[in-house]
Amino acid sequence: MDTTEPLANLVPAAREGDQHAWDTIVERFLPLVGAIIRQHRLSDADGDDVSQTVWLRLVEHLGALREPDALPGWIRTTTRNECLRVINARGRMRPVDPQADHGLDAVVDDMADAELVAAERRQVLRAALSELPAGRRDLLLLLLEDPPVPYEEISARLGIPIGSIGPTRARALDQLRSTPSLRGLGPDPVGGPS
Amino acid sequence: MTRWDELGDDELMAELASAVAEETDGGEVTARRREAARAAFTWRTVDAELAELLHDSALDAGAAVRSSGSSGSAPRSLSFIRGAVTIEIEVTGQALLGEVVDDDRSDGPTTVSLQRPDAEDRVAETDASGFFRFDDVAPGPVRFVVARSGWSLTTPWATL
Repeated sequence: MDTTEPLANLVPAAREGDQHAWDTIVERFLPLVGAIIRQHRLSDADGDDVSQTVWLRLVEHLGALREPDALPGWIRTTTRNECLRVINARGRMRPVDPQADHGLDAVVDDMADAELVAAERRQVLRAALSELPAGRRDLLLLLLEDPPVPYEEISARLGIPIGSIGPTRARALDQLRSTPSLRGLGPDPVGGPS
Repeated sequence: MTRWDELGDDELMAELASAVAEETDGGEVTARRREAARAAFTWRTVDAELAELLHDSALDAGAAVRSSGSSGSAPRSLSFIRGAVTIEIEVTGQALLGEVVDDDRSDGPTTVSLQRPDAEDRVAETDASGFFRFDDVAPGPVRFVVARSGWSLTTPWATL
């Protein structure tokens, strides 16, 4: 099972006690939980507590989660709620305008959306990358290295001529654009409607 | 937000770079949370009777606005319910005072376990009125299991 395995398979497997299915769910949604925690500007320690509570809650919620596709929304809502609880319980100050009539939730949501969408895009991209054939994925990863890896070395490591690195990169990116993840046909992209 | 097929190769590579970097950056925090998240699965229980969260003062509308004033030290209160049994919790600093409210307390002693993911369970017995107390309760995830001869009731996890 990898992170592109449909939730319709992962959730029932985890419910039956399959640790590997659970680990796969964790791998897939850990970035989303992390992004929501970052938006709420929690300390690392508070963020650890929120993250752990969300996963513990999910373990106990698996049995009640009859609709696996509802999982991303559940994780999002639960993480936001736990962030707010920790902020409130620990008496942290937040920049809230008491004159505004939409209240704290709307403030948080406004801050949340841009970064959330960006985090979900990054997650979708990683999923798309994992759908590429290994050779093309390796080429893209080598080209993304910082500091840059010289073409001579890329050529030697992948066993392809220097002259074909550019054209292969273009083909790999085209292939990336047509993966189910980027075409929005993934099993249930995290970026789906909330 | 730009559609994927409208991005040029270089723009797509730039987005890929930040997507890949996210996995390697903050690696320590991510690794720690991943480990805790995986370990959470060991808390899976198939047939526990789960109570519901009835109220949490930290989720009250406007709680954050109030706590930004001088009343930030107001106790945190939580209550859980299942059927005729209610569990009330009040946390002030590191002291936790609780009450099991239940019409029927005829079947002998009631114990309350305080469970945390990374620590041994702590167990307290309720007094004749249903009260119990734990001291030195640090922040972090917690849940309670109330047990009496024949039944037990588990609360959802909450972050103190």
